[in-house]
Amino acid sequence: MPAALNLNSARLTGGAALVPTNRKRRREVRRALLMVAPAVLLVATIYLYPALYTLTLSFAKFDMVRLTIGSSVGFGNYADLLNNSAFVDATLRTIYFGLLIAVSATVIGFLIALLLDQKFYGRTVVRVVVVLPWAVPPVVAGVLWGQMFHADVGFVNALLTRVGLIDRYQIWLGSGWSALHVIAIAEIWKAIPFMVLFLLAGLQSLPRHVFEAASVDGASAGQRFRHMMMPLMMPIVIPLALIQFVWAMKAFDTIFVLTRGGPAGGTTTLNYFVYREAFQTFDLGRASAAAYVLLLVTLFVVLLSTLFRRFLRRELL
Amino acid sequence: MTFLRIRVRRAILRNLLIYCSAAIVLFVMAFPLFGLLLTSLQPEAVIRSRDVQFVPETLHLEHFAEVLAPGHIAQVREAMLNSFIVSILTAIVCLVISLPAAYAISRLRLPGRLVLLGAMISVYFLPTTLFLIPMFVLFVSWGIDDSFLSLIIPYSGFILPFEIWILKAFIDKLPSDIEDAARVDGCSDLQVMMRVVLPLVRPGLLAGFIFAFILSWIEFLTPLIFTSDLKISTVALGMFRSTIDIKVGQQAAAAVLTLLPVAFLMLVFQGLISRVLLGAGDR
Repeated sequence: MPAALNLNSARLTGGAALVPTNRKRRREVRRALLMVAPAVLLVATIYLYPALYTLTLSFAKFDMVRLTIGSSVGFGNYADLLNNSAFVDATLRTIYFGLLIAVSATVIGFLIALLLDQKFYGRTVVRVVVVLPWAVPPVVAGVLWGQMFHADVGFVNALLTRVGLIDRYQIWLGSGWSALHVIAIAEIWKAIPFMVLFLLAGLQSLPRHVFEAASVDGASAGQRFRHMMMPLMMPIVIPLALIQFVWAMKAFDTIFVLTRGGPAGGTTTLNYFVYREAFQTFDLGRASAAAYVLLLVTLFVVLLSTLFRRFLRRELL
Repeated sequence: MTFLRIRVRRAILRNLLIYCSAAIVLFVMAFPLFGLLLTSLQPEAVIRSRDVQFVPETLHLEHFAEVLAPGHIAQVREAMLNSFIVSILTAIVCLVISLPAAYAISRLRLPGRLVLLGAMISVYFLPTTLFLIPMFVLFVSWGIDDSFLSLIIPYSGFILPFEIWILKAFIDKLPSDIEDAARVDGCSDLQVMMRVVLPLVRPGLLAGFIFAFILSWIEFLTPLIFTSDLKISTVALGMFRSTIDIKVGQQAAAAVLTLLPVAFLMLVFQGLISRVLLGAGDR
């Protein structure tokens, strides 16, 4: 579109030099290629080459001495993984972890966005405070929630005891199941600013007069929410939830700082599993295979949500 | 009368709901940060006691002094300096590489340019660990692991697609008339970019610099894998090392120091940052 506009304005201003001939156009393409070349080169070095290398490596053993890809093992690495119950558990855990974070961050983010869409005293303060966790680096979020849920000196134990919800101090990071949820809380807390910012922008872009008209015509708040706001917000909500899921797949810092995948592997997600296999066990072949399984899980969910979105569009609009 | 009473009651109910939920939101979002700050400012004895005070009686800056003292285990001071160097260099590399790319994608008739941008952005869907294994092998065989280079190269690659996206959005918003006029006057594309676009797109460059700086500052996995030498430890890594065997108060102080530069940048440039994220330069 901008290209076409350029062309027109060039003609209007009588810029004869700008009317593109074939040769000129070719030269422009060549210059453009030169300008994107460094970026493409860097991205290819950092992403494309490694992705292909990892793919090849996932079907082979790594030669640690010569630092090259060794003999091929076919689907051996993948078969190893499928027979490894720790891996299967980690896969299921990863999906649960991702869904938990995506759904909770979306629902809580939506509720906060709805709140901030109202007029009330101190709205700006709430808005600023809601965005605060954004300024917190993931490692710091890990340390911060680690201190909050610390068995001895943590504020969560202190608060809950004082209110009377628990009668003695809990070791929150002591079991895999509760530690996984502590990590999820840290991730959700960190995700909320992003969700609120985009959902609020979405809410504010809704056609206000239509909602008012519906209200005058007697549609209840519930009806307006279900039949008007939900269908209108879905195109915003689903991609945001999807982004949260993808980010949850990549969660590492909080897991590493809080539990290092423990206790007893109870907080090992696929991403952490890949890290452990690659940089602690140094089984690079199996780590590569696991990394590709993680990629497949991510792509599968992306695909599912695209289908779901299409389905919703047909059903709701 | 009854109708009015119902409306008043409704308004009261609505306000009650709003202010209660606002209070809950404020508490949940702010309390962890408040707790961290509180811990960093309290003597170790107070932190360790189970009789937790939520309103501090005395403030105590000792933890910051101890953490920042030279020769501390976590090396927070050296790590902050390292992180500043690495983040600034990364931000510069990113800008230098992404400005021409963004300009070409935004303005020149490059076939498949939007596909190219889309492909670059879509790498954010992929797990980072997918790329780290070969990079680790490469860097070890080149002998550049444990150096600033082994951080700046991957950081730049990670940030670049986002950076190009930011700059392209800013360039898209510039009126193309000025560039056309410059071309009529005989400027080449490079001259147009350097003399016309560069000065106009300054807010975009600033935004790009800030994002690249912050994203480099908070990166954790890359330095964890590529560096083991304490001398080039970044702040995120130093922060993590502080979790091993130092006092809770010092750990909190290190955490506060790590987030301070990010919080500062976000606070000063919050307008610019939300502008970038909500559709670059709509105003």
